[in-house]
Amino acid sequence: MRLRESSARGHVPIRDYAAIGDARTVALVARDGSVDWLCLPDLDSSSVFAAVLDADRGGRFALEPEVAAHVQRRYLPDTNVLETTFTTAGGVVRVTDAMALPGRDLGPTRELIRRVDGVTGQVPMRWCVAPAFGYAAVRPRIERRGRIPVAIGAHDALAICSWQAGDAQTDDETIFGRFDAMQGSSALIALSAAHQEPLVFPQREHVEARLEATSAYWRRWAAQRSYDGPWRDAVIRSALALKLLFHAPSGAIAAAATASLPEEIGGERNWDYRFCWVRDSAFTLDALLHLGCPGEAEAFFWWLLHASQLTRPQLQVLYRLDGGEHAPERTLDLDGYGGSRPVRIGNDAAAQTQLDIYGDLLQTALIYTDAGGRLDRETGRRLAGIADLVCRIWRQPDSGIWEVRSSALHFTHSKMMCWIALDRALRLSDAGHVPAGHASRWRREALAIREFIETRCWSRALDSYARYAGGVELDASLLLGVLLGYESSSPGRLTATVNAVQRELGHGPLLSRYSGEDGLPGAEGAFLCCSFWLADALARVGQLDEAIQLMDQLVALANDVGLYAEEIDRHTHEHLGNTPQGLVHLALINAAVSITKARGE
Amino acid sequence: MSVWATLAGGFVGTLVLTTALRTANELGLTRVDLPFLLGTAVSRDRARAKALGYLLHLAAGETFALVYYAIFIAIDTSGWPLGALLGLLHGIVSATALVNVLLPVVHPRMGSELSAADSSPLLEPPGFLMLNYGRGTPIATLLAHIAYGAIVGGFTSLAG
Repeated sequence: MRLRESSARGHVPIRDYAAIGDARTVALVARDGSVDWLCLPDLDSSSVFAAVLDADRGGRFALEPEVAAHVQRRYLPDTNVLETTFTTAGGVVRVTDAMALPGRDLGPTRELIRRVDGVTGQVPMRWCVAPAFGYAAVRPRIERRGRIPVAIGAHDALAICSWQAGDAQTDDETIFGRFDAMQGSSALIALSAAHQEPLVFPQREHVEARLEATSAYWRRWAAQRSYDGPWRDAVIRSALALKLLFHAPSGAIAAAATASLPEEIGGERNWDYRFCWVRDSAFTLDALLHLGCPGEAEAFFWWLLHASQLTRPQLQVLYRLDGGEHAPERTLDLDGYGGSRPVRIGNDAAAQTQLDIYGDLLQTALIYTDAGGRLDRETGRRLAGIADLVCRIWRQPDSGIWEVRSSALHFTHSKMMCWIALDRALRLSDAGHVPAGHASRWRREALAIREFIETRCWSRALDSYARYAGGVELDASLLLGVLLGYESSSPGRLTATVNAVQRELGHGPLLSRYSGEDGLPGAEGAFLCCSFWLADALARVGQLDEAIQLMDQLVALANDVGLYAEEIDRHTHEHLGNTPQGLVHLALINAAVSITKARGE
Repeated sequence: MSVWATLAGGFVGTLVLTTALRTANELGLTRVDLPFLLGTAVSRDRARAKALGYLLHLAAGETFALVYYAIFIAIDTSGWPLGALLGLLHGIVSATALVNVLLPVVHPRMGSELSAADSSPLLEPPGFLMLNYGRGTPIATLLAHIAYGAIVGGFTSLAG
């Protein structure tokens, strides 16, 4: 297998990754044709390919020309099927990558399909599957079943079925081959994965049929989306990216497809995002409804209510994709992306206190009922119980939306979300969805929260709400007060805050999350979702031209196939953090919708 | 001895055997999945195959219980130790002949020694002692079958 020469420690830039998936797991494909991330059987399972976290030991599925090549990529229009075109001196070859959706026929548990079509001339190709099960902790056994090479871990096994892709050879840890892609030729390599069951060896015609059916499904799904405003391509790509993060068995949506991609190269801000954050719920439901995804919206809403039932009336910051509440954090013995250690899986933020999530949940319930959804009596009682809890705990400090690991503070955004929680509970009770027995208390406490925000959290020096009560720092999460509908008693304060955030935290189109410390050493890039929130907020406060201009700049910052990681370097515009990140794509969709509404389209 | 007690033992024993193999599966000792292997013999639909497979497995468990019953009658003895011994024999035959040799021959979607150019196997064959499904497969299979036999023998002797 060829080692990458062009980048430090064998890593390619994060923006070089495209994602393919089947709403069960996601594979990251680099521009050089290497699949550097794949967890099996599900997105939050352990990895079989994790070269993105350890280029030497993580495991990968390389497929590349043996000679220098110019690379162009795209998704097949309105699909999550990736097409990479390698142009070499001797010819042109096109690789089509997809995670196949299962059909009615007996097929593999999970299937990664890679088709290599010769376009012109003759291109020598090589491929190498180097599996590393269990985050590279389980050494694979390479065997054969007849002519088919297989790799075996503890719970998992892979079969590599190939046609016209040369003789599949093996050594102790890899399966590899080489072939010449001639004009008109079509080679096919299918990675068939089994988890706790015997392998299925697919036949070529079935693999081809599943590849076609997978493309057709994505095209059909994209065509059903109702958005037809500006930046349509970016919005539909974002919708398709979100669908990749969807966990089909439960309806949960993962925050991102990866774990421990660093917020600072070489730094320690490396977190596992393969969980569902309550924080994102209102944005998620809003976006799904705006896109015309009622099935996914319904599944997500009820997954959220079922998952949060485990800890009621308290909410956890995040839940596992299967709805479980345990997400213990541990570190792996991997090198880390660009040497960024520790490599963490699991997320201890689950146990933090974050007051804002109660507002997110009740806002989500209001969005659901406003869209015609109905709540049963038990759910109504639970939501009322959450509002009662907010009345009891809103005076406590918390870790805030950004899960800072410094001491707890009275974050302004958290207080705003507590006000939103009680305001939405009152609206839900007015509409008859939630019992109104404690409504007078909710009203009284909502007034007290607003009094706290307006007197303790407003900074005259900043001409803005501050990051926390009595503070003189700013926080981009204050934009959410505008987006989610916090009602200030002093007109103009929210608009002033939007302008202050843009002025003080802005670097061109990019925003820092906050000023001040967060309990961790090192720095981070600009948080992309904050920039989209700013565009959204500008549209909502009437500064439409600025919003459109900002949106144009932000859409141009996506990678070559339209995906965003969590952050972006302010100077080099390199992507940083986990990718593709759901919250960024949600924020893009919602900003586009807000601007469209503000334009009266 | 009562055939009904033996059938009850066959039912409970099959549940225990299935659960034991499933547990071994969860522990990463084996990838064997007997309901899946049986079900895919009659259906290409994954979900339907799993459901049918459990029914077929239960039916097979009851059939083997009747074979045990015939042996108990023939030698006029039953009890959990004898059942466990028969279970051990049953497990060895399953791993070396039934699942290893016979199932691939009769399974329409599994390759065997008899496969030629006109066949296109889909399912991974078990191999000798079903070792293709993991190195822990033989021991897990034997222990599960010993438990099954002990339960069938025990139920039979309980009915006097």
